[in-house]
Amino acid sequence: MSNVLLVDMEKCTGCKQCALACSLTKEDLFDPLRSRIKILKREKTAMSVQLLCEQCSGHPCTDACPEDALTRDEGTGIITVDADLCTGCGACAKVCPYHAIRLHPETEVPLICDLCGGDPYCVQHCVPEALMWVDETDERVKEKKKLRAARMAQYKSIIEES
Amino acid sequence: MYAHQGSILHVDLTEDKIWKEPLPEEWRKLYVGSRGINARLLWDYCKDPDITWDDPRNVIIYAPGAVTGTTAPASGRTSVTTVGCTTGLYLKSNMGGHWGAELKFAGYDHIVVHGEAERPSYIEINDDHVDIHEDTDLWGKDVLETDTYLKKKHGYDSKGLYIGPAGEKLVRGASIMGSCYHAAGRGGGAAVMGVKNLKAISVKGTKPIRVKDPKRFAEVAKEMRELLIEDSGAQGLHEHGTAGSMAGVNELHALPGKNWQTGHTENVYPITGQAVTEQGYLKRRVACFGCTIGCHRYSEIDEGPHAGIASGGPEYETLGALGNGPGLVDTEAVLILNEICNRLGLDTITAGTVVQWAIESYERGVLTKEDTDGLELGWGKLEETKEAIIKMAERDGSLGNLMGDGLKIATEQVGQESYKWAIMNSKGLEQSNVETRSAKAYALAFAVNPRGNDHLMTETFAEFGASPEAVEVIEKITGDKKYATPHSTEKRAEIVRWHEDCYEITEALGFCVFTSTAAFGVNPDNMARLYEAATGIEMDEETLMRTGRRVVTLEKAFNVTRGATRKHDDLPYRLMHEGAASGPLKGETNNPEELAKMLDRYYTLHEWDLKTSWPYRSTYEKLQLDDVADYLERFGRLPEE
Ligand code: SF4
Ligand code: SF4
Ligand code: SF4
Repeated sequence: MSNVLLVDMEKCTGCKQCALACSLTKEDLFDPLRSRIKILKREKTAMSVQLLCEQCSGHPCTDACPEDALTRDEGTGIITVDADLCTGCGACAKVCPYHAIRLHPETEVPLICDLCGGDPYCVQHCVPEALMWVDETDERVKEKKKLRAARMAQYKSIIEES
Repeated sequence: MYAHQGSILHVDLTEDKIWKEPLPEEWRKLYVGSRGINARLLWDYCKDPDITWDDPRNVIIYAPGAVTGTTAPASGRTSVTTVGCTTGLYLKSNMGGHWGAELKFAGYDHIVVHGEAERPSYIEINDDHVDIHEDTDLWGKDVLETDTYLKKKHGYDSKGLYIGPAGEKLVRGASIMGSCYHAAGRGGGAAVMGVKNLKAISVKGTKPIRVKDPKRFAEVAKEMRELLIEDSGAQGLHEHGTAGSMAGVNELHALPGKNWQTGHTENVYPITGQAVTEQGYLKRRVACFGCTIGCHRYSEIDEGPHAGIASGGPEYETLGALGNGPGLVDTEAVLILNEICNRLGLDTITAGTVVQWAIESYERGVLTKEDTDGLELGWGKLEETKEAIIKMAERDGSLGNLMGDGLKIATEQVGQESYKWAIMNSKGLEQSNVETRSAKAYALAFAVNPRGNDHLMTETFAEFGASPEAVEVIEKITGDKKYATPHSTEKRAEIVRWHEDCYEITEALGFCVFTSTAAFGVNPDNMARLYEAATGIEMDEETLMRTGRRVVTLEKAFNVTRGATRKHDDLPYRLMHEGAASGPLKGETNNPEELAKMLDRYYTLHEWDLKTSWPYRSTYEKLQLDDVADYLERFGRLPEE
């Protein structure tokens, strides 16, 4: 049975443990700008929104890439980046409907969550359980989409305000 | 450099000069970071007692912790150090939020601000690019307006540290605010910024933080995280915030009310953390940078005449000082006052303690209607309390000026023995909401606290023995579980001294003190292992605790330069001479004899002189503070051994 990552904005305290953990496991250092999960904050209302690859079925990112640097695993939906082909043009980041992609500050290769190959490191660090790695059922998939819609609405309102 | 970024940023507002210095390797061993290195910097720049809080030579130093910016749980805190304006003595105030981590990502472990700008200014930091901007438009803006203004200029993702109108007007209870709602509130650091014409520091950073041994570091961080997940104290802090314990404290008859005239309040529920949560005021649980507990709140009033009032908090101290204290046992009343203080940049503890003193003074006829600008102050009067606090923040009228100066100056000005009901000790800081008459380690800790009598230089919560972990801590210190009782005066000196060291290293690394002295997941042993994995500097529990002792002694020495003696280590007159109103310890005081005994033991343990309370030369030398001893000798401030 496969799993699904539930990402709940309401439980998120904005601590950024997930982003720090992600940069540690992927880059061997601590830097929220080099993590595959981003925390967008509106300090005034103490609101935080998590942004990361949703392994979406549309995956416009792969199509947008002029170099064919992104490949998608049909089973898991996980996107893999071929750093040798990638030119850092940022086309994938622009089209991602979930604002999940950021380019590496030095190499400019896109940072895309790969669910750590099935054992998301960030989840262990999210004590308030705003990130949950749970068995995939129809119900859970529905919940995931609902939580995502709420996050996207909040994202929009934060970006509009700024 | 590992863990630290290796750089100290200096900004001189008088000279319009900016420079950087490397972080000395020696200091990383002797003082670790944040509060510790800040204390060293303050000593180096301001030991001359002629440097008062408002002298341009006074510096204000900001520093995240040695491991801030990493997955070490709850390690994102920042210490602010300066010559305090409330006491004129050493001041360290610590705040949460996300500003300190951002500073670290910009590449700095400390910022030292020197001098005084001619006109209102702010500092902008964007990695290596640092600027002083003169900006008179900023002056007069409240904290949220300042945030909006600066984020528009420097980006949505910039992080700000601000003072509000209270800091501009040099109100002694003014508070430095970070990430909008987090405060380095105590002691008037904001007035130091105000006198420097420094409104804000806006920061943006993109530099990663590396640790020496990432694998080992992650293991120790995981151990800490898991201990905190299991800890009942940490769970409670997440669930209902710092005010989750309000009802329990009330049950102990230890909840100060009406200017410490009562210790128990009927129907206390409206001012508990539970009420904020359950009545729907709580909108979000919020964490400081890297914090797995998330005790902070964001709350809002949805309906009624006050709909739309929203802010960070309220915290235990605010519900105490602005709720139970002035007799406002009403959730919305506290939310309203909390919002005003946060926006105007006023410390809620000082605001509450000062307003309670004013109410009692008015009740006694010591303050007249003329003194209060016509306000009929009284217990349980929201409108009057609100107006008094706004006046205080803006130094408006005679009441505003009196309150704005804080209790130390106000009691001198008013006279008529009004110090007898002013809840501060000889150092002059308004006391936080702890009933020291029934908690004896707290009493001692408050008396010896170098910045004045509150719980935020040393927290001896373990003496209550409220959890198995707390009892274990007491057993570790004293050798016997039986000392886990706050009513005993025995072994209190041992308990206080251990907690001083532990509290200091907790802050030096950047941890929230809740992780080590209110909840129990972070401790000297795992902090030492973490620091070693992070920096590659060899470290064990004993050596790390010694760095804590070194800093505590250096902070003490700083006060010695300002002439502080044993006389300054006392408690508020009321608590020393008037008995607790009710409860199991009805009639109990912090009488001078009892305190004297604890002080004797405490100074003896520290190897400080009993008469003056000053450390001996040999004490300094044992802690590698020889230069400090040399300096004090020139002033005749070394006691004879
Ligand atoms: S670790 Fe969890 S609570 Fe913290 S920022 Fe990430 S998602 Fe939010
Ligand atoms: S990166 Fe964005 S577009 Fe690509 S699969 Fe993930 S969510 Fe979809
Ligand atoms: S699953 Fe792995 S790659 Fe994805 S955000 Fe979490 S830690 Fe990063």
